[in-house]
Order: sequence, then C-alpha cells, then structure tokens
Amino acid sequence: MDAIVRMEKITKTYRSVPAVKDVDFDLREGEIHALLGENGAGKSTLTKVLAGVVEATSGKMIYQGKAVRFATPHEALRAGIAMVFQETSLVPSMTVAQNLYLGSEKFLNRLRGIYISAQQFLQSLNFSVDPTAMVETLGAAKRQMVEIARAVHHEARVIIFDEPTASLTPEEKRHFFALLRRLKERGVSIVFISHALEEALLISDRITILRDGELVATGPTDTFDRDKIIAAMVGRRLSGALYKKRDVSQLRKPGRKVLSVQDISMGAMVRNTSFSVFEGQITGVFGLIGSGRTETFKIVSGIYKRDFLGGGAVTFEDRPVRYYTPAEAVRDGIAYVTEDRKSEGIFETMSIGENLFGGLLSAKRETGTVIRMQAIRDLAEAWTERLNIKTINADAQVVELSGGNQQKVVIGKGLVQKPRLVIFDEPTRGVDVAAIAEIHQIVKALADQGLAVVMISSYLPEIMNLSDRILVCRQGRIVEELSPVEATEEKIMYAAVH
Amino acid sequence: MIFDPILDLFRGKAITIPPLDGAFRANTALDDGQVFADLPAADNLCLAGGKLHATSDADLYVLSEDGGREKIMTFAAAVTALAARPDGTLAVALDDGSLIESGEPVALPKGVGCITALAYGPDGSLWLANGSERQRATAWVADLMEKNASGSVWRRKPGADFSRVAGGIAWPYGLLPDGEEAIVSESWRHRLLRVGAGGVTPALMQLPGYPARLTPAAAGGAWLAIFAPRNRLIELVLQEKHYRFDMMAQVPRAFWIAPALASGRSYLEPLQCGGIRTMGVHKAWAPSRSYGLVVRLDPNLIPLESLHSRANGSRHGTTSAVEAYGRLLVASKGGDCIVATEDA
Repeated sequence: MDAIVRMEKITKTYRSVPAVKDVDFDLREGEIHALLGENGAGKSTLTKVLAGVVEATSGKMIYQGKAVRFATPHEALRAGIAMVFQETSLVPSMTVAQNLYLGSEKFLNRLRGIYISAQQFLQSLNFSVDPTAMVETLGAAKRQMVEIARAVHHEARVIIFDEPTASLTPEEKRHFFALLRRLKERGVSIVFISHALEEALLISDRITILRDGELVATGPTDTFDRDKIIAAMVGRRLSGALYKKRDVSQLRKPGRKVLSVQDISMGAMVRNTSFSVFEGQITGVFGLIGSGRTETFKIVSGIYKRDFLGGGAVTFEDRPVRYYTPAEAVRDGIAYVTEDRKSEGIFETMSIGENLFGGLLSAKRETGTVIRMQAIRDLAEAWTERLNIKTINADAQVVELSGGNQQKVVIGKGLVQKPRLVIFDEPTRGVDVAAIAEIHQIVKALADQGLAVVMISSYLPEIMNLSDRILVCRQGRIVEELSPVEATEEKIMYAAVH
Repeated sequence: MIFDPILDLFRGKAITIPPLDGAFRANTALDDGQVFADLPAADNLCLAGGKLHATSDADLYVLSEDGGREKIMTFAAAVTALAARPDGTLAVALDDGSLIESGEPVALPKGVGCITALAYGPDGSLWLANGSERQRATAWVADLMEKNASGSVWRRKPGADFSRVAGGIAWPYGLLPDGEEAIVSESWRHRLLRVGAGGVTPALMQLPGYPARLTPAAAGGAWLAIFAPRNRLIELVLQEKHYRFDMMAQVPRAFWIAPALASGRSYLEPLQCGGIRTMGVHKAWAPSRSYGLVVRLDPNLIPLESLHSRANGSRHGTTSAVEAYGRLLVASKGGDCIVATEDA
C-alpha cells in the first residue's frame, strides 16, 4: 500500500519546549494506524499538525504525493483530512442534522430535506441517533457518533480519532469498530489514538509509539504484544536529577488517617471507589485521562457531588462529611490545587496578593469587615518569598507571570488556607523544568511538615519520584496500591490499562 | 449539612467499610508463616516466666521454643482470657464467669461475668474487660447481633478491690495498660479507646474489622489482633432489626449472617452468590465472614503494617498475637493453630 500521508522530521515546539521532535510518520491508504503513548507523549500534537489545528515548527508533510502545509483545520478538511476530537466540537444548540451539514450548507436549505438525508446517512452508518435531536440533549456516546458521522460525511480520505472509545459502551464500541472496518474497506485511512491497548491490538494494522515527543517504535500490529507496547511507552531514560530514582529507605511513614473514602460513586465517572490518605505522606495518584482520578478528588473537595443515592461515604479526620460547596471543604481544611489553573485556579487580572487573599476569604480566615490593602501586600510579599515566585513586584497581575509562577500562585492560594489535606492535580502541567523542581520541593516540604498530600499526575516519573505510596486509578476506581519499593513504570501502567 | 440526617431517612445511609489500604494493604503473610504449633481453637497467648502459654477451649498449654506443647491444666469451662504477672503468676478467666489467680478464685464485682481480656499493668494492677452484661464470652456473636453495648473495663490496684473505670463499651476485647490508663479494643464499634481517670476517648477509629487482643511490641507500640472482617452484608443485617431477630430465632448460630472465626466449612453457610467463589475458585478479595489480620501499631497507635490471611486463606479468627522466642506468634482460633512469622 502507498502512503497517503508522509510526515518527515516533524517538530512542534511550544515556547521553545518541543512537544514532538523529529518525528517521521506515514499513513498508508486504507489502513488503521494506532498511535500510542503516555499522556504528554506528543500523540495529539502530531495529529493536530496533520489536521491543521497547529502548524509544525519544522518538518515536511506530503499528502497524496504533494507537499502540503495546512494553516487551518478547514484547509485540511477540504483536502480530505478530518479529526474527531475527544471533546466534541459540535454546536450544542443545533440539531444533529444541522451539525452534520454545518459548513457545507447550500444557499437555500430545506430543513426537512436535511433531516431526511441525515436520517439516511446515519442509518447507513448504523448509528441510532435522531437527526432532529438537539446536540445538547445527547449523551457523550451519541455526540461522539455525530462527530464521527460528520467526518465521514465530509468524505474525508484520512480520519483521525482521538480517544474515540473513551465514552462508548462495549456495545457501542463494537458498532464503532465495525464502522472503522467499513471505512477501511472504502479506502479511508484512519489514525486511531487510544489508551486502551487491547483496542489498538484488535483493530489496527500498524502501530506507532511515541514517548516524550519522539518516535520510539513503529511496525505492523502483529509484531507487537501488550508487554512490548508498555515497555516502549514507558521505557524512557529518567530525565536527569529531576526524576532520579527514589531512595526507598527515605520513604515517609504513614501518620494518622486523614481521609477515608468509602465506595463513593458519581455517575459513570467514579464507581465505588475506596481509598485512604494519611498525614505526613505523599499519596501519588496515577491514571490515564478519563480514569476518573480528578473527578474522585473533586468530590472529596466538594466541587462535584457524589450520587445522591448510593453515593458512598467520605470521612475526613474521623468525621463523616458530605460537602455541597467547595467552600465547606476549604473551611474544613481541604485544599484542591486545580489542574486547570486558568479557568479554575486564578483570577488572571488580579494581583498575586489579591489572589492569595481570595484564598484566605474562602477559608474564612480573614474575619475583618474592612479589607486593608497593606494586609494584601504583606501577604503577597510573604508568599512571593516563600514560594520563590519570580515577579517584578508583588503588585504584578497574575497574567503577567510565567506558567510556573502562576502555578505557584495557585498553590499559594491553597496553602494560605492552612489546610490539613492538600490535593495537587497535575501541578507541573505546562510548567518549565526549573519551576517543576521548585514545585516538587514545595510538595515534599508540605509532607515533611506533616500534612496529608495527594499528588495526581499522569507523568509516571513524577509519581515514582515523589510518592510514598502510589494509587492507580482506572475506569473510575482505585484499582491498585503500590509501594515505591515494588513499583515500576511497567507495573503502574499495567494496572492503569488492564 | 444539617439536613443530611433527615435526607438519610429517604436515601438510606451508606453502608460502607474502610478500605484495606495503607498499613492495611492486603498480603498473605499469615498464610505464608509457618505453623508453630497445631492447637484446636488456639487462643490467649501470653508469656509467663519466659514461657509461652496458650489456651485451647478449657485446656492451658505451655509451648516450648520448638513448638512442643505440654498441657498443664484443664479448667471447668473454656478459658476466655489469660494474663501473667512479670513473676509468672497467671490470671485465668473462664466462660462460666469466674476468675482464677494463682490457682485461687477471685471475688468479682456484681455484673462481671463475661471476662474477655485481662492484663497486668507495670504497677501490678490487674485490668479486666467485661465484654457484656447480657452474654457469656463464648456467645460473642449473639452479643453483636443484639447490638449490645454493656461492656465495661475494671481495674484492681494492688491491695484494693476492683473498681469500674469505664462502661457502655460495645464488647471490650483487648487491654493494653499504659500508665494510669489503658488502651481498650472496642470490637463492635471497630475502634480502640483510651480509658482512665480522664474518661473514655477514641484512640483509633474506623478499623476494617473487629479488634481483639492487644499486646505490647518490643520495639514500642503494640500488636493488635483483628478476629473478623467487616463486611457490607453483615453491616446491612446489623441495620435490619426484624430480620436479625428472626434470624437469631430460626437459624442455627453457625449459619447466621454474622462474623465468624472460620468459614467455608459447610455448604449451609450464607454466601453472597458468586461473591465468594466463582467457578470453584475462592476469591482472595471476597467479602467473607472470616479473615486473619494482625496490625502493628506505633506508640501513638498509628497502624504501621499488617499481616493478613485473606478470604481464601486458612489462618482466620486471629484473636491474639505475642512476641515470643524472637518471633511474632499469632493464635488463629479459626485455623486451629499458632502461626510464627518473622516480623517480631
């Protein structure tokens, strides 16, 4: 088979940090090509370059024998390359049929005609979706179906699926795989990104594995097995002193049980999960995207609510708790340092001091009726020094800071609340290496001070380097607990994907 | 929220049990350990005069370092508690409610007739746990199913009579004197208490099973034996009063949906469909009625590590653990043996 797409020496850097580096990738006509790798391995970036969502910093892309460079997804779509995103890009306030025809409407449209042709088209794909339904009323799986149908409808020659099966039921997955095979028979080339290794082994013709933005293995699927894939996915060199192997003789002993989560459930995202967190220890939580780790800890910190019926129990410091607002958890001493600092963690246009003061207010630790600007400035100066926040002055707006320093402000905002349990959710995501080391120091210092610390991360070396015990999350529940003495990257990954 | 107790009436209170993680992480240490001595319904391990003593129903044995056993006494009823002074004097409690010290009966206060634990303090005080005012010590499962909380802790200072230290305890089953206070395991509420002149304060809550005897560890802290696991089905039965009393009235005690010292020996035992066995394979993680668990506690009573005999194991019903002969010895009452581990 000839290659329909050939990418040569593709490099994409974000603020001089390479997300993919010198990657060669080719996609043959009528093949299903699985693209595998850990979170942050560069899979999405590589496919976004292919689909015109981002432009490559360097490298060459040849599509149907011609060198191309797509500036927008629309250009790529017109050329026949469509991408189905993990988070769907449908318009919620429009019907399924309107979404299908979005961008390819005629000058005069007859709604009834659109519905009829959409109905026929969806039936041909064996998708049981009502074309007249508003997208906002559909569940995740049906939205995914509409997204797929839209890609097929645009007669794409290349379709990229980013984690397409994450929200599908086993029955829907079977239909989806049958659809992939039908598309393949029609000569469509498919790039299939998934964390489910069984699916990749089942459906794909070839597999390419990326690690830390570099290509590590590519070849026919029958030359791979599960263990070989895992070894290739995680077999990285430990990157210098930052992620050197943990000295297991220095593990912190558990203190009092601070948090006991028993059989909590929240829809399909968190399912009967149970675990404990102890003071004076860093509890590392590893899981792939969609495994429910963030949702679990958002329930603990009152951001999400567990199921009203059969939702389980949470005990904080030997006291049963059921938080209805995050403020209640904050006042009890639970600080959640969000993974999405821009939308959940900081007020970008406020100063460092104002952000930190916001933390104090939410914990009701500031009781005065008049806000003194001097108190805010003092707070900013104290925490800027303590967390080594690099800024021109303490009055600087948070938006002016680098990602690492913004993250330190988010951490500071949690720490001013004097918590007894601190939950860090991906605290080093999008942060430069120097700031990562500093954030790690902060996390370690908190555990050394006797606080209970939870570190959620999808970066295995980080989990292995920091954790005193490691919990692995899969499909909405904690499925494994490992001690760093016995944990290896392969064991953790095995628990996360099986 | 203040409305939660009201909402719980409609949505039902969650029946949950603490997970076996952290220091309670499951292993097979008890099943991997060697049998130190075969002893039917082995119970009550204690060191007296440098020698290990153990009981088996109404018999009292001395066990040598190689596991050899010598019966030294047979009592009129099953031995329910045993303690030794540093000079080797033994105090033995029997299921008929009597207490024998140095071979002589001891006068007991009114209401004390279910002695579940005995311990001598460093000052020579004898601490006594009276499990229940309504049941005998061997009828512990009935006391649990009746949800009694009539246990008490007593102390006899040298030269004085017994005085009540604390009451209203739901089956005190272990004692560890600590100066003027004692740590008590309160089985039916799955916790350890600190009792003394200052009153009763919780010391360790939310244990994943029913705690039994406490013994000091040489390196500081203590060993806590947990004789049965908590189980959601049993917790549910404990909430269902009418069902429970019907069950007690109509079903033989061995087959109650209740904790047990051993399980899986009769096809008449209650099962949870495929929850215990699947295709003939006994699941290690099954919610069984019996389990073996010994926990190492640090001086602040924080669990450090634990030794398990899981659902598919056989060293269940661990009622007592003691450091002796350079090893940790665990009495598995359900497994009819004393297990030796290298953890001491």
